[in-house]
Amino acid sequence: MAALLEISGLSTRFNLPGGELRAVEGVDLTLEAGETLALVGESGCGKSMTAASIIRLVPPPGRIVSGSIRFKGVDLLQLPEDQMRNVRGNRIAMVFQDPMTSLNPVFTIGNQIAEGLRIHRGLSKEKAEAEAVTMLSLVGIPAPRERLKDYPHQLSGGMRQRVMIAMALTCRPELVIADEPTTALDVTIQAQILELLDRLKEETGMGLILITHNLGIVAERAHRTAIMYAGQIVEMAPTAELFANPLHPYTRGLLASLPEKAKPGERLATIAGSVPDLKKEFAGCPFRERCPICEERCATHQPGMKEAGPGHQVRCLMAP
Amino acid sequence: MKPLLSAHNLVKQFPVQAGPFEPKRILTAVAGIDLELYPGETLGLAGESGCGKSTVARLLTGLIPASSGSISFDGKDLASLDAAGTARFRKEVQMIFQDPFSSLNPRMRVAEIIGEPLAIHGIGTPAERRDRVASLATRVGLAPDHLQRFPHEFSGGQRQRIGIARALAVAPRLIIADEPVSALDLSIQAQIINLLQDLKAELGLGFLFITHDLSVLRHLSDRVAIMYLGRIVETGSREAVLDRLLHPYTEVLLSAIPRIDGGKERRVIARGELPSPLAPPSGCPFHTRCPYAKPVCASDPPPLEEKEPGHWAACHFSKEIYRSQR
Repeated sequence: MAALLEISGLSTRFNLPGGELRAVEGVDLTLEAGETLALVGESGCGKSMTAASIIRLVPPPGRIVSGSIRFKGVDLLQLPEDQMRNVRGNRIAMVFQDPMTSLNPVFTIGNQIAEGLRIHRGLSKEKAEAEAVTMLSLVGIPAPRERLKDYPHQLSGGMRQRVMIAMALTCRPELVIADEPTTALDVTIQAQILELLDRLKEETGMGLILITHNLGIVAERAHRTAIMYAGQIVEMAPTAELFANPLHPYTRGLLASLPEKAKPGERLATIAGSVPDLKKEFAGCPFRERCPICEERCATHQPGMKEAGPGHQVRCLMAP
Repeated sequence: MKPLLSAHNLVKQFPVQAGPFEPKRILTAVAGIDLELYPGETLGLAGESGCGKSTVARLLTGLIPASSGSISFDGKDLASLDAAGTARFRKEVQMIFQDPFSSLNPRMRVAEIIGEPLAIHGIGTPAERRDRVASLATRVGLAPDHLQRFPHEFSGGQRQRIGIARALAVAPRLIIADEPVSALDLSIQAQIINLLQDLKAELGLGFLFITHDLSVLRHLSDRVAIMYLGRIVETGSREAVLDRLLHPYTEVLLSAIPRIDGGKERRVIARGELPSPLAPPSGCPFHTRCPYAKPVCASDPPPLEEKEPGHWAACHFSKEIYRSQR
């Protein structure tokens, strides 16, 4: 059986005045139905642009320069735009970080949820509204029928994020991409939303790509995890394996820098320096300048992905 | 030892009006809190958005006046200070802000930003100020050639270093830091936490550290206070509050944090949402979401009581809920 999603050699670049910015550089990954894959990295590492590339919504002046994105065997990058529009929001849905800017402030939430159903499923206004009520109660919004007439500003942050999830799920997508879905929320609400996503995933069997920088969320929710750095996936493994046996020095650095890894008051382990300028082409490994274990060959040789164990891949010349 | 800063029954209310024809209502952001901070100590103040923690920071720095209650610094009531005394207070208490992008003036060079507090307080000659700025920059990990640049040329972590150098310029005795690392990336966060901790140890500063990140809170604080809807619901030493908690809200908050070692199973989930501070619940403010609430919680507000030496909690049933489990 073909994987739900199979990305290979994806590169996305931005033509900027100072040069070409390599936001995503040769990303390969697969996702099975019912699976949760976490995409982890710091700001600017390309995780959100990987997501935007999958649904072909890379903002200009960015463009996908190479690669293929096979969704149930069909390369999305070859689809004409009108067919792509039928995939977007219907079979692949996104949940964004900030529900305030991703909901339209001048339409009621009922209107916004029903829109997808009318366009993709051709439902009548009444039927679409009835379905919207079902979705709102599914995501745990009290008094859903009354809420349909509310505008986004009348809801709290947690409620808005629930509306976003309801919107994403109305057409029963096969793949949901959630880009930092709980970063703007408080921890008690975050716990509720993550429980909700997990439950809905179990009920519908959809695949989930969870983009986050919170390693705690990753450890609890994801089957597999991909760590991104400077536009590349540098390590990918089943989540438990990744946390137990991190191989890339960047992954090790990230895990070691967590405050919970140190005793209170102790110094935290840090990764020296900051991320490199993605407008420059790298001769060797992009992590080289911050790497505690690099050698001379790291300055000249680009590391490729290598198999380090069952399902465990790492992009490092020094890794075993 | 006498406290460096103390607040007694501090209240802050804001009048709010939803629209031009809507009635004026009163939002109680801080509903009567007491706190003390000793020299060289770090007090961590935690809670979710809207609990009033940032309002507390602005009250304690004198940026906004309190509606009622008193604040004293070094034993002197702020309300009774003359102009010279107020100027001294403003020098001794400095603030580090959350967002390193909006808290630095984009038109000033780094040297001017760090040196501005010195100029305002008339400290030193221009040459002495230049030396002080250079040594501060080195201390927080900036390079000498960074001083002539503008804020937009720096990353978030480096901007936060500039903000820290500015706060340290006038040699304050107390620093109030409002979410100083929450806008930073993980690997940068650790660098800034280490810097804050080194500075604290080196300079013997008092720190009031405001955060919603409980792993950062545990790492940096000597004492902890947990806020909910404008009130302190639990306070005590770090170990007491985080390891032997006595309030259901603290339990909910701690168990909601996703952990890398797993722990989803132990999770206690709060029902529903944060109530509006415009219409706070009767009785205990947490009773609407509390997994242990009983009828009395809806009618009688529990006072903040010393349940164990130095460990305070505002809950009618803390003993019944938590002591029986141990």
